[in-house]
Amino acid sequence: MYANRHAEARRHGARSVTSSARAYDGLLSRVAQTRDRAAFAELFEHYAPRVKTLLMRSGSTPSAAEELAQEAMLLVWRKAHMFDPARASAAAWIFTIARNLRIDNLRRGSSTLYELDPTFGMEEPQQPDAILSGAEDAQRIRAAMRTLNPEQALAIEMAFFQEQTHAQISQTLGVPLGTIKARIRFGMMKLRAFIERDAGASA
Amino acid sequence: MSARRHPSEERLLAFAAGTLSVPEAVVVATHLALRPETRAWAELGEAVGGAMLDDLAPSGLEPDALDDVMARLDDASDIATPVPRTADPSLPAPLRGFALGPWRWLGPGVHVRDVLGPRDGDCRVILLRIAPGQSAPRHTHGGVELTCVIEGAYATEEGVFSRGDFEEADPNVTHQPRVVSSAPCLCVAALDGQIVLPGRLGRLLAPFVKL
Repeated sequence: MYANRHAEARRHGARSVTSSARAYDGLLSRVAQTRDRAAFAELFEHYAPRVKTLLMRSGSTPSAAEELAQEAMLLVWRKAHMFDPARASAAAWIFTIARNLRIDNLRRGSSTLYELDPTFGMEEPQQPDAILSGAEDAQRIRAAMRTLNPEQALAIEMAFFQEQTHAQISQTLGVPLGTIKARIRFGMMKLRAFIERDAGASA
Repeated sequence: MSARRHPSEERLLAFAAGTLSVPEAVVVATHLALRPETRAWAELGEAVGGAMLDDLAPSGLEPDALDDVMARLDDASDIATPVPRTADPSLPAPLRGFALGPWRWLGPGVHVRDVLGPRDGDCRVILLRIAPGQSAPRHTHGGVELTCVIEGAYATEEGVFSRGDFEEADPNVTHQPRVVSSAPCLCVAALDGQIVLPGRLGRLLAPFVKL
């Protein structure tokens, strides 16, 4: 099945899928700059099936996750001009698109149309000292994640993948809420310290 | 120890993960719009989300998924029309998409208006405007209250909070912010439940004041 879709991507002119995060940033920039359909097909190949997994882990049914994953990729096409590779990786940017779409969809029953775009609608120039920039993020984040102790890593992962509030994580793990918050807080501080040190060392 | 004036790291991670309630997310987003230095934390959370997304096992899509989406790329007909922007354009960007209710009197020099839309159960968003030198009625908190200062400044027992500062109320603390700026202080707040006004003034105001 996966091979099938791969063949489709080729039909749409996609080149072979590379696994490097930098390549996905480049693909997304090409979509933004030249409306490159082949580049989009390649992004779709990699991200649509993963966005579907993300949404299923967040409680969507497979068919709802399928539909939302396709919608998310359409938004990637339409909003590509807002992608700033100096600010975020393609992975992080697509993650925020999927996240916002999921929230928006959850609220659609109410009168709220909720959309916090990845830049929070701000036009201010970016900070020169942004700690994360562009393509190497994913690698650095992974390296940083490996420095967390298992409890910290688990608390942070659960916050993302099971879309659990911290109170729910506390219940699931049978650990006090304050402990969960502390694990997340110290985990986040450790990630940031590692990334800043790493950035300083490579500058 | 001076009070923290930004959301906690765990709240920023919840914002990045998308698990905050909408009213809470609106107040956090307002803070992020006014305080770019805090954005690094939210972006760190989003970068973690991105790295995790990259590492997820792919789920099989419908056989026609890519063709269907490719066929819809140029179809503008299913793009949702933007929500009418009836809000005050001088507000920070995250608040501009919402209609606003009328200002209501809440006490001497104190006015409140609803930010219509973001709601989650009893939790909702309000704008609070307090005149210079005035205090909000002394109150305890019925639920979590997140506040972000948009204009002016107020002081509490914890210190001075000015434009962009974010305060997370402690349910055990009685709170009486007093405006210390020369202009009125405008704040956005997410309230869960009713604010409880203690004491004689509270009982006096209770029949009139509905936050």
